[in-house]
Amino acid sequence: MPYYAKSEDWLHQSSLLLQARPATTRITTRYSIKPARRVPKTDDTAAEPAAQVVKPPRGHLVITTFDPESGVNLKYKTSKAAEVTRLVQMLATLGRKMAAVPEPAAAADGDETMADALALAPGAQEGGSSEERRSGTATPVPQQQQQQPQAGGGGGGGGGGGGGKGKKKKGKR
Amino acid sequence: MGHLSQDEFFTALTSLFNDRKASAHGSIFLTQKRLSYDQPKEEPSESNPFPDLNPSDPLPVIIRATNGKSKEKRNRKVKLSTIVKPEELEGFYARYAECCKAGMAALKPRDRTKRKAKEKARRKKGGAVSAQ
Repeated sequence: MPYYAKSEDWLHQSSLLLQARPATTRITTRYSIKPARRVPKTDDTAAEPAAQVVKPPRGHLVITTFDPESGVNLKYKTSKAAEVTRLVQMLATLGRKMAAVPEPAAAADGDETMADALALAPGAQEGGSSEERRSGTATPVPQQQQQQPQAGGGGGGGGGGGGGKGKKKKGKR
Repeated sequence: MGHLSQDEFFTALTSLFNDRKASAHGSIFLTQKRLSYDQPKEEPSESNPFPDLNPSDPLPVIIRATNGKSKEKRNRKVKLSTIVKPEELEGFYARYAECCKAGMAALKPRDRTKRKAKEKARRKKGGAVSAQ
């Protein structure tokens, strides 16, 4: 079974699976660490081994919903520490479904509408915006911070253009 | 090992995570599932043909944690489990989130180095341009 690109999609499909087979479905979170293997790109070979030693091992998180009776297996993979809290919140949501505890009314409504909205416009939304909407109540500040690097990335992409502009101006002078 | 209480479980889980922090490889598996073993079973009836789907009472959830050691490393295997009663779920997951966040230290922190590198590259580019 493939990995889902977005944790929201994984949550939605997992909750559907739990709805269908609440007694047999299990959710496994695998946290694994592997030593960093990538060789940094540097010209001088002397600095290379030192850089390699310094590089810490890289961990990642695979979250799997599996139902042995139907063989359905839904996965989501991430390596971002920022997502852990959100994923555990999802685990809590799904845990409530497992326990057949009625959802807290407000949260349930919010989840439903969000899930619907996501289902309606899956491609149109950026990952960042939907993330922000999802966990807006829980950790609004870190989410905003998380968006900044994205914006920075965009700026970096556009930065080349910006640099080009500067070049032109200098040429005019 | 029998099921642990929540406090014992979190203590043991924290030390499990700390063991991982010391080494450069390895895994931790966390599993959750509705507890169905040794539970009173509802019989299907006319009004409720699938008692699993609509249980009359909330059921407990079992949470397991292991370091996944097997075969020749089985003697180093750590297996933890705890049973969370439905009314305790909320509090459990709050602590669970904290424990996981603290334990999963090898995940990528919010990455600023890339942005920095990009900025650096841009500045370098800019510098090279102005030099030309």
